[in-house]
Amino acid sequence: MTSAVGLVGGLGVVSSWWPGVAVALPLVGVVAVSVGRLSERWRVVALVAPAVAALAVALAIVGDVVAGRLPELFVLHMTPTLWMVLRVDAPGALYGATVAALGLLALVFSFGYVHRGPRWSRYFAFLMASLSCTLGVAYAGNLLTFLIFYEAFSVLTYALVVHEQTPEAIRAGAKYIAYILVGGSLVLAGILLTYFLAGDLTFVAGGFLAADVSRGQLLAAFWCFVAGFGVKAALVPLHGWVPDAHPAAPAPFSAVLSGVMVAAGAFGIMRVALDVFGADLVRALGVASWLTAIAAVTVLVGALLAIGQDDLKRRLAYSTISQMGYLTLAVSLLGSGVMAGALVHLVHHAFLKGTLFFCAGLWIHAGGGRRVGELRGIGARMPLTAAAFTLAVLGMIGVPPLSGFVSKWWLGVGMLEVDAGIGLAVLLAGALLAAAYLLPVVYVVYFAPAGPTAGRSGREAPATMLAPTLVAAALTIVFGLGSHYGGFPLDLAQLAVAAWFGGG
Amino acid sequence: MEVVDVRPILAPFVSFLCAGLVFGFGRSIFWRRFFTFLAAFIKMALVLSMLPGTLQGVVYVYQFVEFTPGIGIGFRADAYGMFFSLVSSTLWVFTTIYAIGYMQGDRDRVRFFGFFALCVSTTVGVAFAENLLTFFLFYETLTICTYPLVVHAETREALRAGRIYLTYTLIGGGFALVGAVMTLNAAGTLTFAAPGILGLESGVGTLAVIFLCLIIGFGVKAAVMPLHGWLPIAMVAPTPVSALLHAVAVVKVGAFGVTRVIYNVFGVELLQQLGFATPLALLAGFTIVAASTIALTQDHLKRRLAYSTISQLSYIVLGAALLTPLAATAAVLHIANQAFAKITMFFVVGAITRTTGKKYVSEIDGIGARMPWSMAAFTIASLSFVGVPLTAGFITKWYLALGALEADAWWFVLVLIASSLLNAGYFFPILHRAYFRPAKEPWPPLEPGRHFETPKTLLIPIVICAAYVLLLGVTAEVPGMPGSVAQVAVESFFAPRGVGP
Repeated sequence: MTSAVGLVGGLGVVSSWWPGVAVALPLVGVVAVSVGRLSERWRVVALVAPAVAALAVALAIVGDVVAGRLPELFVLHMTPTLWMVLRVDAPGALYGATVAALGLLALVFSFGYVHRGPRWSRYFAFLMASLSCTLGVAYAGNLLTFLIFYEAFSVLTYALVVHEQTPEAIRAGAKYIAYILVGGSLVLAGILLTYFLAGDLTFVAGGFLAADVSRGQLLAAFWCFVAGFGVKAALVPLHGWVPDAHPAAPAPFSAVLSGVMVAAGAFGIMRVALDVFGADLVRALGVASWLTAIAAVTVLVGALLAIGQDDLKRRLAYSTISQMGYLTLAVSLLGSGVMAGALVHLVHHAFLKGTLFFCAGLWIHAGGGRRVGELRGIGARMPLTAAAFTLAVLGMIGVPPLSGFVSKWWLGVGMLEVDAGIGLAVLLAGALLAAAYLLPVVYVVYFAPAGPTAGRSGREAPATMLAPTLVAAALTIVFGLGSHYGGFPLDLAQLAVAAWFGGG
Repeated sequence: MEVVDVRPILAPFVSFLCAGLVFGFGRSIFWRRFFTFLAAFIKMALVLSMLPGTLQGVVYVYQFVEFTPGIGIGFRADAYGMFFSLVSSTLWVFTTIYAIGYMQGDRDRVRFFGFFALCVSTTVGVAFAENLLTFFLFYETLTICTYPLVVHAETREALRAGRIYLTYTLIGGGFALVGAVMTLNAAGTLTFAAPGILGLESGVGTLAVIFLCLIIGFGVKAAVMPLHGWLPIAMVAPTPVSALLHAVAVVKVGAFGVTRVIYNVFGVELLQQLGFATPLALLAGFTIVAASTIALTQDHLKRRLAYSTISQLSYIVLGAALLTPLAATAAVLHIANQAFAKITMFFVVGAITRTTGKKYVSEIDGIGARMPWSMAAFTIASLSFVGVPLTAGFITKWYLALGALEADAWWFVLVLIASSLLNAGYFFPILHRAYFRPAKEPWPPLEPGRHFETPKTLLIPIVICAAYVLLLGVTAEVPGMPGSVAQVAVESFFAPRGVGP
């Protein structure tokens, strides 16, 4: 971290190895489990140590960004006009730290959850590789770098979706890869058009596309991006893979998939709208209201579909569709307050949804079953798991002072700022519907009389699985109570919107 | 700047001499290998020694014989020729190593390696041909030299494939000859020139006939639909032949011919005025999608690769036919990008057949565990064809799509996207079977005393070629790598008339 090489929005860009180190660290784990002949104990160490180190680096980068230094690392030139570069700004640092933290929790959880066997190494190798690439998405400094990491983690994730190799998993995997490849192609088309129009791909807060080029091509590029990233962000009607992939995947990976990987799609839409097009150009193109409509439909349809689901993980998957809709909704409203709320929501949702999937996994592991109906009275036998679940449900609904409340509050305030009454209505409806699809699970867990299938199972899981669950649940409280501290999500979100919208 | 130099003729001559020595003394395994390797390395050294000059814009020329003034056999190593000969002479080295391992114990290896060397000789002859006559001469010789390799097994099926192959290519050659004669008549010369030799004064009708004849003539080997029929059938040849000839030499000579016609016979300016290139681009676009669609249905591994080759070759034709600098860059680069990725795939398929006896997609469930290195290489090549960034294929796709936008032909971007998805559609299921399905029956164990999944002579070329696919994806900028040579070539195509070398 040496000399300042430029100024972006009043913040100094410094060349630094750290973003590269963060992306490379999880790959150490990949090598350790796939090539090395280590004993099991050492393999666990070789996985956990790099994940912890990556989290430490990601947090150090957060510190740097808060202090006004944006670390940048040139990786390689592919052609004279195409290169890979990592450059961390406030939204990137925030997302990167979330990825590293949730990834570490999921990794630890996986040790208890994933069966020993021939596929053990494959699972962990692909988990670490896709974490590395997701960090790359967070830290990407231009569209090409973003695409490279985005495609890479999307494809690597296939191995995790089909991990159990049941017919359902294979089917879900095929559906997943088909959706993702089509989405990735659309993103590439958008990038091509962008490069053709602007001759550059480097993210600039406020956008770098000029308004004086062909409106048709600008619109084509915008919708290619939205459709392409929308597949991953699970915008209705592009969400088809989500409710199949989540129940098929192992629970800790479902947590990562829902928590940070679906968010990568929404993160891409943010990057495109605010760092490629810029708020003014998006307004001038007149696409914002269409995007609002799509996002509103996503929030409501996702929530309505969640209500009827009997498979708990499928219900949570639909919930993710609904919750991630908020992010796109916020982007479409183009207000500084609402974007700050969206970034905070991205982080808070990751740990809330992570907790919920961890709990679902613990119940499956304990033999409690996948269906909501099979969880009758399990709260009495697994009180800690049930408590964590309840806490996350309350956070999801937005009960103060939990983290979910903070993000919904800022989203709501931001919507009032830009007079988005419809947005506010959607936000409230989404919260009510969240109560409608999540509270019944809590009711079943605690109060429903134990059915004939109950009783055969149910002891708290070992500490390796319980601890990550409780940590994720505790973060719900920490983020809720500490939201105004420096370095917390809200702080970074405000830095981000200051760069995007000026002033903040 | 033109420099008279003997190296452009020495390069094809080295392999020619090698063929003679193999035919003469090739009964001994040692001498056969010795001559083949020596020639392969000398040739590569010769080509590489011209590389620094090429990058500075030097063109090496050597006039061999002149029948009448202006008509003769001449050699000329311009940037584009250098690019093509670099690719073929590099791959000759690896294919030789592979062929030695693959053909072990096979029948009549003297004939095999002799004609193998002849093919490489003629391929480099085509690359360095100074005029259409020389080009045609080597082009036809290549047809003849490949025949014994295609029918190598001498089964009824192989002989039939050889007949079909000859029918297609000889008829194509006839068209090319007619086109060449008419070109001589219209332009008064046959010597390739960077911005073209024909002019509007010859009349649109004559030019149309010349274009048609030359494109049909060379399009047969480039397997542009509907002239592709011979290629899947010729897959009965031994795998090293399929690899070198049907990923590099034969088919690329066709694509190389098409580009020469477009850029060095007609020239960009003339073709833009005439508009002949648009139907060719449409035909190439159709071939890209149609051949990929057929590939989806093929269960035989080599046939699937064959249809993929047909589709990929049309990337080169399309890039040339779009007539923009970026598309031309894609066309030139794809000669190398496709060659390395496809040869990797052929090598892997050959190694699978050699090691396990399996030839069909549906038979290779779980092979990833038995042959991890080979399948890793296959994965890299697949990603390249899908066009994933950091692989060679992405560079092609990027330049080609930008070239299409430059030519105001955005629908070709859609063609490219469709093609990427189709490529994923027929390569990813292979990967899925290899990695994510349990083996149907236990794979044959390693032979005692071996440490690797397959003989080292097969594995080493596989690994190197796959590594090269990655290297090509990230070094388009590095001087001396194919990307830099392609830049020089493309600059000459678009130089204004009379200025180019």
